[in-house]
Amino acid sequence: MTALVSVGSFLPAKQVPIEERAARLGLTPMQAKVFRRYHKQSEVRVDPEGGLADLLRGALADLDGLRGNEQRVRYVLHARSFPVVTPYPLDPLRDLCLEYGLGHALRFAVGQHACASGLLSIDAAGRLLAADGDPEALALVLAGEKTFTAETRLSAETAFFGEGAGACLVRTGGDRDKVLAYAVDLRGELGTEVAQLGPDYQSEYTGSLAETIRAAVRRAGLRMDQIGLILPHSVNTIAWQRVCRRLDFPLDRVVLDNVAGSGHVFCADHFINYRTALTRGLLRPGERYVMAAAGASAGGAFAAMVFEH
Amino acid sequence: MQPEFALQAADPVLRERVVECLCELLPAVLAREVSGLSADTRLLDALGMTSTAALELLLRLEERLELEVSVEDLGQEHLATVGSLADYVAANLLDEE
Repeated sequence: MTALVSVGSFLPAKQVPIEERAARLGLTPMQAKVFRRYHKQSEVRVDPEGGLADLLRGALADLDGLRGNEQRVRYVLHARSFPVVTPYPLDPLRDLCLEYGLGHALRFAVGQHACASGLLSIDAAGRLLAADGDPEALALVLAGEKTFTAETRLSAETAFFGEGAGACLVRTGGDRDKVLAYAVDLRGELGTEVAQLGPDYQSEYTGSLAETIRAAVRRAGLRMDQIGLILPHSVNTIAWQRVCRRLDFPLDRVVLDNVAGSGHVFCADHFINYRTALTRGLLRPGERYVMAAAGASAGGAFAAMVFEH
Repeated sequence: MQPEFALQAADPVLRERVVECLCELLPAVLAREVSGLSADTRLLDALGMTSTAALELLLRLEERLELEVSVEDLGQEHLATVGSLADYVAANLLDEE
């Protein structure tokens, strides 16, 4: 059974008001106010002087269990919302692997599920390790992207994106944060020609994400009332109000702490929210919780993963 | 964590005032002239309104009428027409206290 050995996260210190970003992206003050009033987004995190490697390095600095175990790491996966995250020929993932003594590991990017690619990466890492059959082998999952283009700064209907990163070490077996189930609903028909979210995706979002969470919980042999916590993608508050209403799940058990001050951090939100939950003492031993994410690019992807802490 | 809101029976006078106000505000939100607006005007189908534009419409309505609306239950079905949105607003006012 796939399990997380440890989880790390990083948010740059600098926060930019959404109004500042909105003006540069051509939004009216009233449109910006919609994000502040209803979506509950106030600021996003940015690291103007740093590159992608700096973001990922921040998450690695927060990750326990890597130092001394580098030779056990067989795979390094970079979960991405966007296929291209740095200008050619830069390869910060290669540079980081060399810097951290992981040059021997097979490294590759995981995408196509947009912001749900972080959960896909955990699933892929677990399957690769299980196929290898070495119980001591590890995989490192990294998530984090720069907001250096307009489409990486704003999803017009849903969220301002912020910069940050997450990292986790994955193994087969172990008793810490076991993966009980994973469900993903891929909806190719919801895709649009541009990398913004289309109206069909918007109208399907609540029902599809709620049903995917239900499916993962069912697959884990559990009921929703046995789930203690949801670690969401921090897209906005109103979306989670609607998903919670559909699930009949209390909104105050969804970790939305980072929506207001950090923005939606691509594939890294659930790792960042995991660390927030730990800090707040919300994850008790034996607690069952769900990481959930959704996104759209060439189609809609809705994903949920059930864990036992 | 969730706001307290008063579920009240929709006030027909308020509902009419909301319809009137929504029709006044729609051209500004859509950034174009729109004529013949009424309670039956279809927001999504005829006007091509997005969910964020609908929220902007509500925000302008709140400011114009000095009221506050809970959007927690706002779904696509409420955005069908000006009238259905007005029904939603009239039934989901936040408690002023």
